Amino acid sequence: MFSSIRIALFLVVLAGAGGGFWYVKTLQADLATAKENILKLNDAVSEQKAVIEQQAADFEAITAIRDDLEDTNRMLETANKNLNEKFNKLNASGERRDIGALSTTRPKSIERILNKDEVNERRCFEIIQGAELTEEELNATKKSQINTVCPELANPNYVPY
Amino acid sequence: MYVDVIMEALKDHFGADKTFTPATHFLDHLDGDEIDIVEVTVKVSEKLEITIPEEECFDIGTVGDLIAVVGKHVNV
Repeated sequence: MFSSIRIALFLVVLAGAGGGFWYVKTLQADLATAKENILKLNDAVSEQKAVIEQQAADFEAITAIRDDLEDTNRMLETANKNLNEKFNKLNASGERRDIGALSTTRPKSIERILNKDEVNERRCFEIIQGAELTEEELNATKKSQINTVCPELANPNYVPY
Repeated sequence: MYVDVIMEALKDHFGADKTFTPATHFLDHLDGDEIDIVEVTVKVSEKLEITIPEEECFDIGTVGDLIAVVGKHVNV
């Protein structure tokens, strides 16, 4: 009788110990899975951070390109306005400038002036693309000293009349 | 006198209200441009019936420069 009870108790204790052991093993496995999941999540977070940083860098690059394009556009508008004025200027007597006639009577002079404008225009593009201003450009305060195509870019100290 | 012809051309071109002295700069004082100098030179040449080689006009910056260049080609 007692031996049956002992055996039964032993079996109960053994079952309890087995259950406990199984429970702990399962917990350890779950913990390992959870750790793996945390590592994967950390990786995913790092990847997302890298993607966000890349997007921010791309956005900055796009903004810089847009600013450059706006500068170029402004310069071209000014150049166009200056050229329009140069070719269609009215004098004090109300006579409109005839660049075609002048090109016929004084071809070398007109060619020289247009070549100078072309050099100035190239310099404007260099400045837009980040070229440093020269001392001469910085110190220009008179109309005879400025880059007439883009004075607002090339000659910050020049104040128009 | 040829200087009077030059002054008349300058007044016609830039306005009678402007002041013209030998030191007056076409760009800095009259807000002109280099084509204005070419136009005035052509007008003065036509009025005085003289021919001024283009190369001689390249360095004209002031009214005084214009008077000097024209002066070389008129029979005073």
